[in-house]
This record gives sequence, structure tokens and C-alpha cells, in this order.
Amino acid sequence: MTTHDNIDEFLAADLHSELSDEERNALHAHLVECADCRKIHQETRIMNKVLEEKFENEKPDLAFEQRMLAHFRNNVPNRRGAIASFFANLMRLRATQLAGVAALLLALVQVGRIITGEHLPGTGGRWSSVPLEQSVVPMMNGRNEEADLAKSHGGQGKGITFRNRSLSAAGESTVAAPAPPAAATGGLAQPEVAPEFHEEKAAPGAMSVAKAPQQEKEAKENPVDTYRRDDSELATAGTNPALANRKMIRNASVDLEIISFDDAVQKITAFANEEKGYVATTSSEKQENGKLKGEIVVKVLPENLDRFLQEIRGLGELKNQTLGTEDITKNYFDTEARLKNARVMEQRLIDMLKKKSDDINDLLQVEKELGRVREEIEKMQGDLKFWDSQVQFATVTISLAEKDLEEAAKYLLKERATLALYTPEVEKVYNDLKAMASPKVQITNAQLDRDNTGRVSARVSMLIAPEESDGVIAKAKAMGRVENFQVQTERVAQGGEGMSENANTKRDKVELNISISRDEQEQAFQQTSLRIRTSAVDEKAKKLRELAEKQNGRVRNSSFSRDPDGREYANVTLRVPMKNYNALMRALDSLGKVEDVSESRQDRGGQVDEANAPADLSIQVYSQGNIVSSDTGLFATLRRTIGQSAAAVMWSLRMIGVAVAFLAPWSAAVVGLIWVVRRIRRR
Amino acid sequence: MMDANEREVYRAAIHGDREAFEMIIRTHSRLLFAIAYGILQNREEAEDAVQDALVKAWKSRWRVRDPEKFPAWLCMIARHRARDVFRKRRPAPLPDEIQLATSVASDPSALDQQLHSALAELPELHRAAISLRYFEEMDYATIENRLGLTNGSLRGILGRALATMRKQLKPALASEQP
Repeated sequence: MTTHDNIDEFLAADLHSELSDEERNALHAHLVECADCRKIHQETRIMNKVLEEKFENEKPDLAFEQRMLAHFRNNVPNRRGAIASFFANLMRLRATQLAGVAALLLALVQVGRIITGEHLPGTGGRWSSVPLEQSVVPMMNGRNEEADLAKSHGGQGKGITFRNRSLSAAGESTVAAPAPPAAATGGLAQPEVAPEFHEEKAAPGAMSVAKAPQQEKEAKENPVDTYRRDDSELATAGTNPALANRKMIRNASVDLEIISFDDAVQKITAFANEEKGYVATTSSEKQENGKLKGEIVVKVLPENLDRFLQEIRGLGELKNQTLGTEDITKNYFDTEARLKNARVMEQRLIDMLKKKSDDINDLLQVEKELGRVREEIEKMQGDLKFWDSQVQFATVTISLAEKDLEEAAKYLLKERATLALYTPEVEKVYNDLKAMASPKVQITNAQLDRDNTGRVSARVSMLIAPEESDGVIAKAKAMGRVENFQVQTERVAQGGEGMSENANTKRDKVELNISISRDEQEQAFQQTSLRIRTSAVDEKAKKLRELAEKQNGRVRNSSFSRDPDGREYANVTLRVPMKNYNALMRALDSLGKVEDVSESRQDRGGQVDEANAPADLSIQVYSQGNIVSSDTGLFATLRRTIGQSAAAVMWSLRMIGVAVAFLAPWSAAVVGLIWVVRRIRRR
Repeated sequence: MMDANEREVYRAAIHGDREAFEMIIRTHSRLLFAIAYGILQNREEAEDAVQDALVKAWKSRWRVRDPEKFPAWLCMIARHRARDVFRKRRPAPLPDEIQLATSVASDPSALDQQLHSALAELPELHRAAISLRYFEEMDYATIENRLGLTNGSLRGILGRALATMRKQLKPALASEQP
């Protein structure tokens, strides 16, 4: 770059004092030499001067800045307070925007959670009630008033209150007023139930299940159900003065598995006597295998019930135990009061009779009423007596069963044999088999099938006495080629199940099922396929048939075809006995080149008569046709190439379509979002 | 590089400090005027353009992330504003003026008119550069910074601008020659 070429730039920069010393020297040196540039220099200086003058005139006046400021202040009033502007600026910070987007996403996730019903664990009071309900159920199992409990439990446990000190409360409520203790505690809200319940679990004690207020009416009619959690607690409860005048019916049932039934009965009787009780009823039943099972009902004093139960537990293995108490206090005293009233009524009616009224109708009326009242009195007396007896003694029902009650008494050995035979003469074999019938060999089913293609098959089922079975089966096997023979033996337990050392085993009749088929239908023992290449297909195929007949074989199927390329194929399927197979294979070599030999053999165990078993050969005799296929060559290749590339183009088009469908909604959403954000920013 | 004080003023203005922004108005409005005038060649219009540009800059100040770039950004707004005004103003009045200018070339009093039209014919960037140089007598580096040009390119621009005008005004200048 020379000074001369860029004289305009240099001159301008020189006038504006933007040249370095070196450049300025170079410029001045050049101006001395070059007349043209000197002229331009002159003109440029004038130009510069003119411009300076012009702009000097156009310069804004001194008040310019003030005008600008005034205009700015007028147009941008300082209306926003510090806090508002702080927030406005905060909103414009990128960090704030990112935080906003994150909060939005989080909110969306929460909304999604609410919609799908997924909940975070450990939130909300209602979750604490779940373990309560789950644990109440197993605790209540085994109580004999389970159904009653389940009914009140069905109400989400709202009315059920578990208390660890129910004794005084229960006593108070039943003595003072007939209203059940539920009245005091029934209204408790659920969350309060949970802590009480856990306390209950930690310190086992008496527990009362009271009904909800809405069930109060029902509760007035029926006694309050009381459940005892622990047996030891019951003993103390029995002697509790608060319970002394209560009427309780206690009963228990126990399932025991014992070694000897008689021993157990003796011991139970002894225990009952010890506890001032008695054996009410005994029943026993002998099983087929000699084992005994039975039931004993024992009455014992209620306060001794728990000790008695502990004692009988030692007799054998405890399978099941239920313990129940029915509080009939209220009913008992109600009935007593009604009885008293009825007696007063009776007395008054008797007095009326004594007055000897003249009206026969009145007398009859009074007599009738008296009869009704007396009936009532008797019924109530009976009830009270029954309750007294029930309360006086606790009933224990003991179910006893000897160990290995289900043991088998004897075993039956059942044999079932199936035999499949192949023979050329199905009907003859069928008739021979039928002729074997005798008292010890019973034909249960015989059937000969012949279908419209002339195929014949037969089935014979027979029952054979155990001692004859081996001979009969051997005879049947000799009648044809055995395809399959299976024996299935089953030991069936009778009068019980499982193993038993003492039971004896008996052999049952043998069931034999024979199926007879023509040997045509038999599956080949070995299958071979091969190809023979030759030039004269037709001739060699004929020769092949001759060879097969020589080796005792049969042609089952044959076909001949010629394809457009001039190739000829003859497919022949043969069946020969296995013993002739190798000889035939050797003979095939004379026909042409043997190729692609493949053999497959079915292993049927040692039962098969291998020498006579059939072998199938499927042979293809073929000749080679034209060397060049119509599928090769320039045009065919071109056609295929075009076809493939068209397919490739279509495929990529489809992929592009998929990608567009995949991305379009998202990109539309993103573009829309950007547009909205821009609009907001611009404001 | 910008000194720390200046930078702080820009930063405060970006974050909404009015005082700082008014300070910038005081120090920069002549510069902006120079740019607008360079484009519009009319004082009143240039003033209006600067006023509009300042209000607009205040409203969209938060778009500037880097305080260093604030002055250049301000200049850009002024340029855009001036260009908008220019476009709205007149579709094509220039040829008449040029004709007028050439027809009265010999008249010395018409030199100003000729200069005006010669300036009007220059590209917009060249005009802005000239007005910055002659109004504010700024050094090249600052002008380059304000107009967003690369280092050293202004020398070529000014050289060409002056040469173009010199050639156009040759007859008129001949009479000016001392």
C-alpha cells in the first residue's frame, strides 16, 4: 500500500491529526515529490475547512442538554416507587426468569401429582388411621362374637373405642344407668382413637367395644359385648367387686390334637373334677383307619375357667381356641323386674276372681288374662333359671382328634397300559383280540373305524385280572409290530391320604388299551432326503422304481416337472424296510451323482423292531437347465437397482414425515412461547 | 477500556437509576445529536430523533447485559430512530436539490446548499462518521467504538467520504480558494 494510492485516507487522517509520526513523514515526503497529490492536499484542506465551518454553525446551542433532559422527564414520569421498580428490575434478571420457569415446572409437576392421585408419604392426618384399621382386624380374629364385631367395625371404627381402663367406666354405666358406655366415648374422633389403641397394645388389659351413638337403641336391647384380651386378666376380673353382681356367660372352645383319645378323656375328667366342674357330654367317632375323634363338653366354675384351659392345653397340640363372654346383666335384671311386675299383676287378677263377679263374660276375660300372665311368668322364670345355670358354670367345648387322623387305611395299585400296534391286516388282529375274552379278561370297549379313503383302524380296551395281565399283554404284542407300549402304575390311598406304614397294598385290575392301525400310517423310523443329478431324468426315475421294488420297497408318491430354464425334476418318495435301506442306498449310486443327503432318525427307545421298521426316502432326480438365469443381466440389475432406490427414497420420506410429526408441535409451542416472551419484554 | 466510574454509571442506568441515566443524557446527547444530524441533515428533526431515542433507550435499557456496550447501544438506537424519521420524511426530493445545486454552482452563497446535497448523497454511515468527527471532534478510535466499526476502518471511510465530496464540490471550492 503506497501513500500515493491512498492519498485520500492519508490526507484526511493528517488533517484530523490521526497519523503516526512515521506516516506523517512519509506523507510529507511524498507531497514534496508528487504534484498531483499536492493539488489534492490543497483541495482537501479547503474541503475540511468548509466542513468545519458548516458544522460549527450547526452545533446545538447551550441549552440543548437541558431540553433533552426536560423532554425525557416529561415523557418518562418517575411514577414508580422504589419497591415497584425493584420488582420490575428483579423480573428482568435472567436468574429470576430461570427461577420463575423452574417454579412453573414444579407447579406443573404438583398439578400432575394431584390429577393422577399420587401422594407424598407422611402427609396429612388421614394416613395415620390406615395402620389402625389394618391392625384391628388380626387382633379381633378368633373371638366368637366376630360377626357382631365386624358389623360395628364396618362403620370405619368410628363408634369403637378402645380403652385400657374400661372396668370402672363399664361398671358405672351399667349400674347407674342402662345406657352403654358408648354414650360417654362414642363421639371420639378418629385421630384420637389411634394413640389410645397403641397404648392398649403396649399394656394388655380389659377392653370394651361399645357401639356408636346411632346404634344406641340397639345397644339398649342387647347387652354390651365385652371382650377379654388376656386370660390372666379374666381371673382378676372375676373377683373384682365391681363385677360381683354382674351376670356373665362365659364359654370357650378348644381344638386339640392328641396321641390317644381315651387318655385325653380321662385327664380332662380329672381336671374338671379338680376345678369343681363336671363333664357334660362326650362323643367319639372311629375313623376307617382306626383313629378316634370326638367332642367333650365340660362345665367349670367361671373363675376356674382360665386355669382349666391352661391345664388342657398341655394334653396335646392346640389347633384352635376361642374364648367368649356374654354380658347379660341388663337383660337379667330387666327380666327380673318384669317378673316382679307380672307377679303383682297375677295377684290382682286372682283378687278379682275372688270377688266372684256375676257377669260370666268378665270372669272369662279375667281367666284368660290370668292365663296369659302366668305363661309369661313361667317363661321369665325359665329364662332366669337358664341364665343362672349358664352364669354359674362356664361351658368348655373341647374337640379332640388323634394324631394322623387322616392317615390312609390301605392302598390300591392301579395299572394302565396302552399299546399301539401296526399290522397289514387290522381286522384280523381286531377279531383275534376280541376272541381272547374270558371271565378274567373283559373287553370293555371295541371299535373298528373305516373312513371313506379306505383307511382302517381299531381300538380295543380290556380289563384283565392282575394274575393274567402279563400273559395277555405278551400275546397282544405278538400280533403286530409294536409302535408304542406304555405302562402307568398308580398307587391310590383309600380311607385317608398321605403315607402310612401299616396300610397294605392290593393290586387292582389292569386296564389295557390297544390301538391298531395299518402299517401304511406308521411313522417312518428314519427319513432320508437326497438329490441325484443326471442328464436323463425320466429314464433314471423309472430305473429308480425298479430298484426300489427289488429291495422290497414301495413307491408312495412321485411327480415330474420342468421349469422355464429347462430344468427337469422328478420327485419320488419311497418306503423300504430298514434292513434293505443300505442296499438301496448303494444301488442309487448307479443312477447318477448323489447330492445333499440328509438323514433324520426318530429314537423311540428299545421297543422297536428295528429291522422291519419302515424308512422313508424322498429322492429328487434332476437335470441342470440353462446356465444363465433370466434374473441376471444388465436390465434385470438395472430394474432391481431402480426398485431398491425407489424404496429407499420412500423410506427416507417416511422418516422425514415421522420427524416432522415428532418435532412440529414442540417447535410450534417453543416459537409461540418465544413470541409471547418478546411481546411481554417489549412493553 | 472504560474507567470504573463510567462503567458504574452505565450499570446503574441499566438497573433503573434515573440519576445515572440523566447523567448519561447530559454527557451523551450531543454525541447522539451528531449521529442523528449526520443522517437527517436537519437540526429540528435530529433533536426530535435524539429525544425519542433517549426515551426508547430508557424503556428498553434492561436489554443491555454488558455495561461496556451501553454507549454503542445508545448510538445504535439513535441511528435507527434517525433512519426511521428519514424514511418517513421524503420519498425522493434529492434529484431536484442536486440539480439546483449544480445550476447555481458559480454562486458563492450557494456553497452551503451544495455542501448539504453532497453530504446527503453520501452513505448514511459516512455521514454519521463525518458529523461525529466535525461536531464532537472525536478521535478515530472513539468514533469506531460508538458506531460499532472495526479498528482502523474509519480512516478509509473518512478518506473516501472527503474525496467524494471534494470531487463533487470542486467548482464551488475553486472560488473559495484563497
